[in-house]
Amino acid sequence: MATEVVIPMLGITVEKGKIVEWLKREGDPVAKGESIFVVEADKVTTEVESPASGVLARILLSEGEVVPVLTVVGVITAPGEALPEKYRAVAPPSEAAGPPPLTAAIVAEPLRAPAGPGGPIRIVPAARKLAREKGIVLETLSGSGPEGVVCFRDVLATESAVPAVGKISPLARQSAEKLSVPLDSVEGTGVRGRIMRTDVEKAAQRIAAPGLGKVVPMNAMRQVIARRVSESAFTAPHIYFFTDVRMDALLDFRQQIQREFEERFALRLSVNDLMIKAIALTIMDFPLLNATVKENEIHIQPEVNIGLAVALADGLIVPAVVGAAQARLSEIVRQRVDLVERARKGRLTMAEIERGTFTISSLAQYDITHFTAILNPPQSGILSVGKVRDELYLDNGTVKSRQIATMGLSVDHRIVDGVVAADFLLHLKQTLENPVFTLCCM
Amino acid sequence: MKLSKNKLIELYITMKKIRLFEERIVDLYAKGVVPGLVHLYIGEEAVAAGVCATLRDDDYITSTHRGHGHVIAKGAEIKLMMAELFGKKTGYCKGKGGSMHIADMDRGILGANGIAGGGLPIAVGAGWSAKWRNTDQVVVSFFGDGSSNNGTFHESLNLASVHRLPVIFVCENNLFGISVCQIKHQAITDVAVRATGYDMPGVVVDGNNVLDVFKAAAKAVMRARAGEGPTLIECKTYRWRGHHEGDPNQGARYRTREEIEAWKKKCPIEWFSRQLIQDGVATAKKLEAVVQKIDAEIDAAVAYANESEFPACEDMFEDVYV
Amino acid sequence: MREITYSEALNEALRQCMEADERVVVLGEDIGCYGGIFQVTKGLQEKFGPERVVDTPIAEAGFVGASVGAALTGMRPVTEIMFIDFTTVCMDMIINQMAKMHYMFGGKGKVPMVLRTNIGAGRGTAAQHSQSFHSVYMHTPGLYVAVPATPYDAKGLLISAIQNDNPVIFVEHKRLYNTKGPVPEEMYTIPFGKAEIKRQGMDVTLVATHALVSSALEAAEELARSDIEVEVVDPRTLTPLDTETILNSVKKTGRLLVADEDNKTCGVAAEISAMVAEEAMEYLKAPILRACSPDTPVPFSPPLEKHYMFGKERLVGMINRLMAYA
Repeated sequence: MATEVVIPMLGITVEKGKIVEWLKREGDPVAKGESIFVVEADKVTTEVESPASGVLARILLSEGEVVPVLTVVGVITAPGEALPEKYRAVAPPSEAAGPPPLTAAIVAEPLRAPAGPGGPIRIVPAARKLAREKGIVLETLSGSGPEGVVCFRDVLATESAVPAVGKISPLARQSAEKLSVPLDSVEGTGVRGRIMRTDVEKAAQRIAAPGLGKVVPMNAMRQVIARRVSESAFTAPHIYFFTDVRMDALLDFRQQIQREFEERFALRLSVNDLMIKAIALTIMDFPLLNATVKENEIHIQPEVNIGLAVALADGLIVPAVVGAAQARLSEIVRQRVDLVERARKGRLTMAEIERGTFTISSLAQYDITHFTAILNPPQSGILSVGKVRDELYLDNGTVKSRQIATMGLSVDHRIVDGVVAADFLLHLKQTLENPVFTLCCM
Repeated sequence: MKLSKNKLIELYITMKKIRLFEERIVDLYAKGVVPGLVHLYIGEEAVAAGVCATLRDDDYITSTHRGHGHVIAKGAEIKLMMAELFGKKTGYCKGKGGSMHIADMDRGILGANGIAGGGLPIAVGAGWSAKWRNTDQVVVSFFGDGSSNNGTFHESLNLASVHRLPVIFVCENNLFGISVCQIKHQAITDVAVRATGYDMPGVVVDGNNVLDVFKAAAKAVMRARAGEGPTLIECKTYRWRGHHEGDPNQGARYRTREEIEAWKKKCPIEWFSRQLIQDGVATAKKLEAVVQKIDAEIDAAVAYANESEFPACEDMFEDVYV
Repeated sequence: MREITYSEALNEALRQCMEADERVVVLGEDIGCYGGIFQVTKGLQEKFGPERVVDTPIAEAGFVGASVGAALTGMRPVTEIMFIDFTTVCMDMIINQMAKMHYMFGGKGKVPMVLRTNIGAGRGTAAQHSQSFHSVYMHTPGLYVAVPATPYDAKGLLISAIQNDNPVIFVEHKRLYNTKGPVPEEMYTIPFGKAEIKRQGMDVTLVATHALVSSALEAAEELARSDIEVEVVDPRTLTPLDTETILNSVKKTGRLLVADEDNKTCGVAAEISAMVAEEAMEYLKAPILRACSPDTPVPFSPPLEKHYMFGKERLVGMINRLMAYA
């Protein structure tokens, strides 16, 4: 029984994706669970596993085209099974009963077989040659030329997200390279939407300096951020709490163990790592801070995965350290280092983002005392961390200084009431102010 | 004009050579060894021989489709002619021209020509060239009564006349184009009258009398060499065989056998050999020896042509351009 | 560099060649004391005399044939036929004699002559004085064919033609005679079989001849404002044809428009299109288009003749059609 291969759900908010690479070719055998193609959505790439074992009998979507999630992109048949009629565009290879027809290689020139819904493929010679070289199945191409003929640019467009040669003039391309303008942010005003040099120059101006009176178009990431924060802000009623945490002990503790930690694990321990651990441990006692709302149900997540907001050049992304409550400190640090590095290179997977259950957002490097953070949907809690500052206090009449950081907690009031939130924050404060006890006894 | 003994014998040899060569071609063509078309000169030998005997090696001639006689008379090597007729690569034109395009630039033979009247303007050009180069070369343009009606005839005579070019226009009036006899294709009887229209001397000559031909030609050549301009000589003659080999009934279709026989009796070579013997210029034995020598030469030419190779296929592309 | 007209450039070429080589003679109708109807031979008869610069009678077959004969016997004639339309009167001399002698005579017998003539409509000269069937001579083996579009090309190509031992049909253009351009004063040659890329571009190859070269450049200029880069290729000679330059250009752009003033069927554009389709099929991103005159005789009435002619606008339109296949 043939199994359809689809672009899977890629996260609650992802609507579209594209295949950046097929890892199997038509005719290849596949095993259930084996990676079969790589999909990209919202700037994150994911390897998709085969839903069944058998033969990848048909590839229906080639690389580069953006489609809605759940679109059928391929068909897996059982060994020896014939490809169902509805998936066929060309006459299938000889159906010998017996071993799977591994010779059914990608057909590049189905010249004589009646192909697709309207007769033979109409395609210009240069496009045909390129498609053949790239192993692109002609039937999967849609033609944008006169009367629907497949043009050179249509084949090029299947290759990469960058606009095909025909969609952008050579001058514009050079200009885009020189001015570092991402072509997907440029709108073409030329013949048939072709991107001209003037379009690139205008886009460069807009991107370079969002200045007074300018109109800056949102790129993909900005649009995602806008959508998510809006969703969160307008869906979850936020309540905010602040407390000042004495950081001396934590900072001293870190300093004490830092050198040996580095020697032992070849990793640099940061305050954030300790905070991740502390928060995770605290959440263990306050499970409502690790929950999501689903209609009338509160779903408490099984794992505590602490997300760390990482600032990027033009936006932000929140990968999560997984299993932070159970993980050893060294493991937390390892994960954190890896995630932040890959976040900056745009190489996170969707899972690494989606799995977060609670988020830390730190502006400690900036001169911000405290701030209110918006929940990272669908999480129910987010901690904002302000800058560590010196404060003078009276200790039995003596003026002393200590290091204070103001932390803010935002919670989803549908799940977490003020008392719970306040209690959590208090416990967190204690956890942070007593690092040795925290790490040993909690 | 008194011709030397040698000169007279030369005239005989030339005529006989043409006759024997052409007769050999009749055979070879019939056997299929000579492909394409051949137009034989048999019966008209006195014209070619008589005219060409007045020319130097560096004088020019242009010829017609019926050119074997002219080119032999001008000194072409029959071995190379034969090879060309066979289509062999050793032929005059490397097998690329054939019977109608035999040419030998070194001997001033500016080509037989497949186009009726095609040679006249070319001859005019050669004469013009001599004038430009200040040489005293002259040019003979052979053509037939048929061509005398063609535009090129009129244009050529006019050009030669207005520019006083050293061209001798020799019309071989053999009374027929292919099948249309002169009475039907022109109102005049003597083509030579057209000379007056172009302000040049026009002379009618018995084309079967090699000495008459010689005399008229010599006079015209002298006039031309002296820079006095062109002359039109009309030689009345007759071709014994059809227009081309394969012409049904060898010409008897459009003329009577009686007419052909009548002209055969006036054979120019017969007449001349009788004259030579009569005048004590040569003995019959000597003339016989001449024939044998020519025969042997033709045999050798045929052998040469037979042994030679056809051109390679790639040679087809050679010489399209310089 | 000084600028002179196309006809002045030709005149200079003739004069310099005649000075250099006494075998060069000039023949034609009204080319002597009148200087030629387009003044190309102006002043030559005064300089070289009526023997070398000959006013011929109206006898094309006669004097073209005579040119062949003269060329065969040591001269280098440059003969003019007033309009290409009149070459029909001496077709035999051109196609059967001039073109074929070198071949028919097995490589002996060269015909180093130049037959100058001109093409082009647009002056109301009607059907028998406006044709552009130079393709007939491109078609005929044995002839070289030159088609200069600029004064610079005209002088260089004419000198090459005169010095070349092949028979050359030298096709000038009526509307170009008065166009000006930079021309070196000294003698220089332009090789046969070497096209010139008059403008570089990445998007479309536009092969154009004669007056259409300047239309092509105008079209390219206009299209550049829409960021469409047109590569204008001027073949300069049709035989030999620089197929390499044309093919390299099409391999780069993938799109070809051929513009020639002859009427469409069996014209120069047809040959170039077929050649490219055969040799560079897999590089084609769009069909090959031809911009040619319609398959009619040239009409007299001005609005009709105007409709018959074409230039920049048609080329721009056709290139836009090609770019739809971008």
